[in-house]
Amino acid sequence: MDTMKLEIVTPTGPIFSGEVRSVTFPGAEGEFGVLPGHASLVSLLEAGVVEIEKSDGTKESIVIDSGYVKVDEGKTLVVVEGAVPIIGKTESEIAKAIEEAKELVKKAGVSDFAIANVEAKVESATKTRF
Amino acid sequence: MANLKEIKLQIASVKGTQKTTRAMKLVSQAKLKRAEELAKRSRVYARKLDELVSEIAYEINQNKVGGSDSRLVQQDLPVRVVDIVCITADKGLCGGFNVSTLKTTLGLIREYKEKRVQVRLRVVGRKAIDFLKYNGMEMKDEVIGLSASPDYKQAADFIGESMKDFIEEKTDRVILVYNGFKNMLAQEQRVMQLLPVDISTVEPRELKSSIEYEPEGYEELLNALLQKYVEYSMYYGLLDSLAAEHSARMQAMDNATNNASERVNELTIQYNKARQESITTELIEIISGMEALK
Repeated sequence: MDTMKLEIVTPTGPIFSGEVRSVTFPGAEGEFGVLPGHASLVSLLEAGVVEIEKSDGTKESIVIDSGYVKVDEGKTLVVVEGAVPIIGKTESEIAKAIEEAKELVKKAGVSDFAIANVEAKVESATKTRF
Repeated sequence: MANLKEIKLQIASVKGTQKTTRAMKLVSQAKLKRAEELAKRSRVYARKLDELVSEIAYEINQNKVGGSDSRLVQQDLPVRVVDIVCITADKGLCGGFNVSTLKTTLGLIREYKEKRVQVRLRVVGRKAIDFLKYNGMEMKDEVIGLSASPDYKQAADFIGESMKDFIEEKTDRVILVYNGFKNMLAQEQRVMQLLPVDISTVEPRELKSSIEYEPEGYEELLNALLQKYVEYSMYYGLLDSLAAEHSARMQAMDNATNNASERVNELTIQYNKARQESITTELIEIISGMEALK
């Protein structure tokens, strides 16, 4: 089993659904990664970045505020309040998404350290793409 | 002659009104579609949240006889203070939509008063606020604008206040009242108990393997999840109410447009009769004038 199903939903609708190779979550007790075949787990999530490696090897980052993740065999479910995917065809679109993401994290009312962490991650993620 | 002019003006004015009501109907139709779509999308979230809650509820029911200690799920609390959360529209012109919600709310208040339970009101929507103010009823909290454009964060903040009071044992029950969307033609009064949450009705799901919890202890997780659950219920209530409002307005405006066409027909007949009458009078005047000259 080299991929698993990942679903991310928010109150305003599903954000992501598809097969992935690995995901990294900002857990309440520290960041953790999930690979296919991970043991069952339910965890609180904090504001941060969900990093996804899709089945075709491409990477995607989604900034979230608070939520939950539930992992069981071959399927990972993420329930979050707010999420902004950092995607776009042009650089300006991505810049706009990053702004939105920063706004979202700031509203979540977490520490400055966490905000800086998110910013750094998002920026490094977009840099590797261009 | 003055009569003819008056009728003509009246016809023009009714036609003007008809244009407005027809436009309002079309606007509501478009907005209804959007509101329905929003509600449909958000239901995915509800399903997943249910899944999570049910699994944790199963875990609790298995490991602990008598269920959870959390106040959010206690069913047998003595009820002394009740929060009633009531949602109406900000605007009128939608038939009995707002009135029926207010009637239900007043009914509930009366019911609780008879049981000597203190009632606190938390109100969303200008129509309800105006009505309650006019009747001199006190409100704990009021919001305008939220029912016209539901926002998850705002809804969560609003219900969060109520939840905080509940956890601090200031209130013993929270009830949500609103007019929900049933189908294109009908709305339905919905009265929902938000708190305490009844997890015994949640269908427990058996798992293939045991779950690890992080942070440890499912109580904390359950509490946080239930809060999400209540927040979402509030948000969904707003979405549902908005869809219902638009369907109610659509209907009301459709009726108004039909009534206006009827009125135009009536007035046109009156106008034609008056015109015929005036022509007849003129003819008689001319003929009698000619007769007089002979």
